[in-house]
Amino acid sequence: MSQGTSEYWRKLIRIDDPVPADYLKEFKSPLEIFRPLFYFIINLICRFYLRVKVFGLENIPQELPYIIAPNHVSALDQTMVSYALGSKRRNQMYTLAVKHFYDRFFPRIFMKIAANVMRIDSEKDFFPAIRAAVKVLKLGKMIYINPEGTRSQTGELLPFRVGVGMIAVETGVPIVPVYIHGTYQSMPTGKYFPKPSKVTVSFGEPIYMDEYIKRKQTEMAYDVYRSITDELLKRIISLKVRKENL
Amino acid sequence: MAEIEQEIRSMVAKIIKRDEKSIEPNANIFTEYGVDSLLGVEILAGLDKKYGLDVPEQKLREIKTLNDIVRIAREQMSKKAG
Repeated sequence: MSQGTSEYWRKLIRIDDPVPADYLKEFKSPLEIFRPLFYFIINLICRFYLRVKVFGLENIPQELPYIIAPNHVSALDQTMVSYALGSKRRNQMYTLAVKHFYDRFFPRIFMKIAANVMRIDSEKDFFPAIRAAVKVLKLGKMIYINPEGTRSQTGELLPFRVGVGMIAVETGVPIVPVYIHGTYQSMPTGKYFPKPSKVTVSFGEPIYMDEYIKRKQTEMAYDVYRSITDELLKRIISLKVRKENL
Repeated sequence: MAEIEQEIRSMVAKIIKRDEKSIEPNANIFTEYGVDSLLGVEILAGLDKKYGLDVPEQKLREIKTLNDIVRIAREQMSKKAG
């Protein structure tokens, strides 16, 4: 009865709408001319101050598009992943930033220098944000999305939301699980300057959508989205366990 | 019409994974049964699948109870019938 409900969701996120070729301009900023200088400084901080270690870069798909899905414990997280990815990849990445962070003056300036940013209001504009992410992926780019939807105040993982599963399966794009450790110890919420810490960024094997695309022909779409999100959580927990055993 | 009400009750119960008899018609399904807001979308998707009702997303905000869902389904059925 309620099986194979994906069609309605696809209409809702306007999956078949054409995407204008200049759509990405919306998320570009003139401030990005400072990006090389910004990452020059970030490279120094990451190497000598935060002693960032990167694991699993070989797991990143060779070809775009894909979704980068890390845990979120600190305002440093996006920058650490960008550093880990290197300049070529990070310039292809579009980051979904929640409005309460983006709407503050200094964080916004910082984010516009550091990344291609997409502002989202998960309460009011959930579907417009999803549609924007879908368009970016359809143009063959990379999306950075926090599956928890918000920053953890305790350093522990929060429940994962199903939106990331929906975007992935409806676009057919793989998700790369990422576990970030040490940024909470360095700069938790409420702190504005990082303390020296050992930060690690671990990329896991991508979750490909073939199996889930088949499943959504016969299963309730929401259940398939939830399964993908559960699998993502499982993979991030296993990266966490691996990090703790190092 | 009572038949439609019963069909929708069964559909909602299946989606939110609860015994259909335990769903109170006026209970807020999100706050009282801990339903994820995107399951509200799945309910609209269920109406689309079962009755061919292309319910606009704005209606999502109106969904709180089983009675709301039945009312929205009836409205859309009347619209569809012209």
